Amino acid sequence: MTGTYTIGAACAPAAVVALELAALRTGILRRRRFWVTVAIILAFQVAVDGWLTKLSAPIVHYRPAAISGVRWPWDIPVEDFGFAFAMITLTLALWERALRRERAADTGSAAAAGNSLESSRPGHGARS
Amino acid sequence: MNAWQYLLVLVLCVAVTLPLEIIGGARVYRRPRALLATLVPVAAVFAGWDLIAVHGGDWWFSARYILGLRMAGLPVEEWLFFLVVPVCALLTYEVLGHRTARPRSRAGLRFRADWRARR
Repeated sequence: MTGTYTIGAACAPAAVVALELAALRTGILRRRRFWVTVAIILAFQVAVDGWLTKLSAPIVHYRPAAISGVRWPWDIPVEDFGFAFAMITLTLALWERALRRERAADTGSAAAAGNSLESSRPGHGARS
Repeated sequence: MNAWQYLLVLVLCVAVTLPLEIIGGARVYRRPRALLATLVPVAAVFAGWDLIAVHGGDWWFSARYILGLRMAGLPVEEWLFFLVVPVCALLTYEVLGHRTARPRSRAGLRFRADWRARR
């Protein structure tokens, strides 16, 4: 069964990834740090979302026809993970872009914005 | 007390991640312009999705566990969700990018000194 949320949760990550690859182009998807962040946030999501969606005392209710009905782990609709992945990915890509713009403005050079992938932040150590 | 549940979950998220900024070396709250440039589009897209879904009846919120304040049909807690969760992700991402060779205990001290110097 596929509801509107199922479709949205499948399309949103693809749309955000496409946006990153085609327009934002921060290179974030090639970074280990991005994937580690996603893993950590999704792990915390299980706790937080698990609490919000638990069927014994749900804070959020879902119309059965809107979701696939697959609820795991605990009672979390799997669709929530698609929503979360899309939101985190867009957040981090926009953040990278904003930081690069700030750095470019600080140094007054367009080169800083172009030399995007591994540009270093002043005052900070190496990053992965 | 039940009515505070959703809000408390969000407060917990903020409280748990705040040390990442204060002692972990992440600089997220202290970059308000970049933060705003990130949060505004993210909230527009995902709260927009939420609004459509809620108005379409795809999901709804238990009146028991929310304060009852609403904006455009969404509980305030749900609006806050779109600020809190992205900030948690940013703090995690930034703290992972703040690895230094310094010993941990001294890193915190130096970081605070650094912060004062910047202000």
